[in-house]
Amino acid sequence: MSMNDPIARGLAAGWNITDASKLTEDRTVEADVVVVGTGAGGGTTAEILARQGLSVILLEEGRLYYQKDFQMDELTSYANLYQEGMSRATADGAIAILQGRCVGGSTTVNWTSSFRTPAETLNYWSQNLGLSELTPDAMAPWFEGREQRHNMSPWQTPPNLNNDLLRQGCEKLGYSWQVIPRNVKGCWNSGYCGVGCPTNAKQGALLTTIPGALDHNAQLFHGLRADRLVRNQDRIDHLLASAMGADGITPSGITVTLKAKHFVVAASAIGTPGLLLRSQLPDPFQRVGKRSFIHPVNATVARMPAKTDPFYGAPQSIYSDEFNFKEGTDGPVGYKLEVPPLHPAMAAGVVAGHGQQQRDNLGQLPWMQSVIALLRDGFHPDSPGGTVSLRDDGSPMLDYPITDYLWQGLKKAYLTMAEIQFAAGAEAVQAVHLDSGWYTRWSEAKTAISNLPMKPHRVRLFTAHQMGGCSMGHDPATSVVNGFGEHHHISNLNVHDASVFPTSIGANPQLSVYALAARNSTRLAQKLAPSG
Amino acid sequence: MTDQHPLPGQPDTSRRSFLKTGLGGTLLLSTISVSAGLSGCATAPAGRIGAIDSRMDASYQFQFLSRDDIALFEALLPAILAGSLPDAQNQRRQTVASTIERIDQGIVKFGPPNQRELRKLFDLLNFPPTRMALARTWSDWPSVTATDADAFLQRWRNSRIGLLNNGYVALTKISNAAFYGYADHWHLTGYPGPPAWMTESLPQFTSA
Ligand SMILES: Cc1cc2nc3c(=O)[nH]c(=O)nc-3n(C[C@H](O)[C@H](O)[C@H](O)COP(=O)(O)OP(=O)(O)OC[C@H]3O[C@@H](n4cnc5c(N)ncnc54)[C@H](O)[C@@H]3O)c2cc1C
Ligand code: SF4
Repeated sequence: MSMNDPIARGLAAGWNITDASKLTEDRTVEADVVVVGTGAGGGTTAEILARQGLSVILLEEGRLYYQKDFQMDELTSYANLYQEGMSRATADGAIAILQGRCVGGSTTVNWTSSFRTPAETLNYWSQNLGLSELTPDAMAPWFEGREQRHNMSPWQTPPNLNNDLLRQGCEKLGYSWQVIPRNVKGCWNSGYCGVGCPTNAKQGALLTTIPGALDHNAQLFHGLRADRLVRNQDRIDHLLASAMGADGITPSGITVTLKAKHFVVAASAIGTPGLLLRSQLPDPFQRVGKRSFIHPVNATVARMPAKTDPFYGAPQSIYSDEFNFKEGTDGPVGYKLEVPPLHPAMAAGVVAGHGQQQRDNLGQLPWMQSVIALLRDGFHPDSPGGTVSLRDDGSPMLDYPITDYLWQGLKKAYLTMAEIQFAAGAEAVQAVHLDSGWYTRWSEAKTAISNLPMKPHRVRLFTAHQMGGCSMGHDPATSVVNGFGEHHHISNLNVHDASVFPTSIGANPQLSVYALAARNSTRLAQKLAPSG
Repeated sequence: MTDQHPLPGQPDTSRRSFLKTGLGGTLLLSTISVSAGLSGCATAPAGRIGAIDSRMDASYQFQFLSRDDIALFEALLPAILAGSLPDAQNQRRQTVASTIERIDQGIVKFGPPNQRELRKLFDLLNFPPTRMALARTWSDWPSVTATDADAFLQRWRNSRIGLLNNGYVALTKISNAAFYGYADHWHLTGYPGPPAWMTESLPQFTSA
């Protein structure tokens, strides 16, 4: 393997990494801090604590995959790098859930868009939810710090045509658009971010904070699932974890007991509430799992006269916030407009269909352009989010009912996206909906889309942004942790991931997770600092 | 059989509705004791199937799909992949068989909860009374023509019952992804694959 790869080098240099599938007997291990999950939140936490001289153990349910494994192949990547082999969905199956399950978490497969938490969102939290210490000014240094750590800056290379058409459509219609900042270093503009960056350009947790933690003597267990936090009075005494077998999904029967002074859970939305529910920690107001958000996403596809090759080039480089906060933070639902990369399996999964019709749709992939709308859920009383609960086998599941308030936003978003695509020169546009045909004129599309039934399953919905379920707040009656991620009832437990957000973010969440985890870990490090 | 215990105060819809959903578009069915009545169905993973009694590659070990599930996909794939399968009989059979293997591989990685949902869906489609009641497909899958299979898919797609729509999406999505996502079939979508200028210079492709 190439010794230019930092992970291969670290392994050769003796990083303390244990593949739990190789364990042959039960073990007990101990550290100052145990961190559950190695994604945006977990990686940041582990690096900051380890640099302060604390001993840290990281555990990750998924396996360690790195450059040698990133072969630009959808089927193997979806099977190995994503939760439930890319089959995760909401309880009724109506919304597909894209979420990472590997070292680096979702940052290993994300599309590198790097936005600060919008000022409107932070102001809403500080003014309406009592999180007065999280103002845009107070958070600015934390965003700056993480922008540097992950090399985030606006994308300088011209956008691929898939993205540029969003820009062109917005220009024509007088809608605002911007260039997306990305967390990359020496990016090859390839388009394969979603299947694991093959060039090591993406500066996700896998190539930044995880190596940073391991260089400072942290220990990483992968293929090890946190099952239950075991409590003694108001403290977590230890964590019970199950090793996965060689297939990465079937428990091998080996268990690991992890002891620590402090525990940080960063298994993300769905995962973190799941672990807390399994652990039956005190939750007098039954807040765990509630108010789970997803930025519900719908899409339109267009056939363009020129080749778009939507599988190549930085997947996301242009966005429009024209409709995001236009009607107020808590008015009718706002949405951010972006573009998704389209490879064959992704396209086949997004556009439902079969037979010759499906063949014809997929056959025009090189001319296809797609726009997605990410709805800003959680700011309005009619958008209370979903609920995470446990299945019989203890695995977490998200129930997310779609309210009329959201259906209205989704309908409006379909119309906006189709209008933009026609303005950008589309020959035909189709709403990603079981009842939509291909429309060749905007006027035709407008009437037809206005009449589409807005019902689960018929409207094809997705999410790659899971948030909430362990809300932060001052009042234990409405939240699980405080503004520093500290659990209200357990003195040695923090939550440092996307599950603490009290509403959705209103932008792709990675930088929000990185920044808040950095702030809260810095405070935790001070608290736990080795004395002297 | 997993038993489901509705919480007190919640309507016990799972008992009555045939289908409940799960999967990213994959569906599932619920607790009608399909499996209990399935003594006639082969629900065990098919394992290695000898070349003699099937067209399957004898070296592939099925981990999830049963012999009945394989027959189901042999009936559905010619409709789902209409226009994309090779014309020559031999090649066509081989393509169907290898797509079913990749469907099996994909489902293995779905993990236990969604596998349970799929097991319910497949059992329902394979158990003659439920196949006739819900799929309205009268003959068993090995004797279903591509036209009949297409009609079944259309019925589930156009049904006013969301759960059947979900079943349609589940069946077509796992099939389409396993087929169009596979390197040998990328060309059908016009996707040229990873650019040569990358594979020629990246260590994971150039070194052993
Ligand atoms: C396809 C895709 C594209 C995306 N694109 C973007 C983008 O362009 N920009 C952006 O800002 N955001 C994007 N996101 C979202 C972003 O990556 C996430 O919001 C962010 O990574 C969340 O951070 P986290 O720490 O909460 O969770 P994650 O980064 O997901 O990490 C959580 C980790 O915990 C592990 N885990 C869960 N349960 C357990 C357990 N019981 N035991 C042990 N480990 C466990 C998981 O396997 C996972 O590795 C994208 C996500 C996806 C899936
Ligand atoms: S575009 Fe390609 S090279 Fe750049 S970060 Fe994404 S996968 Fe890596």
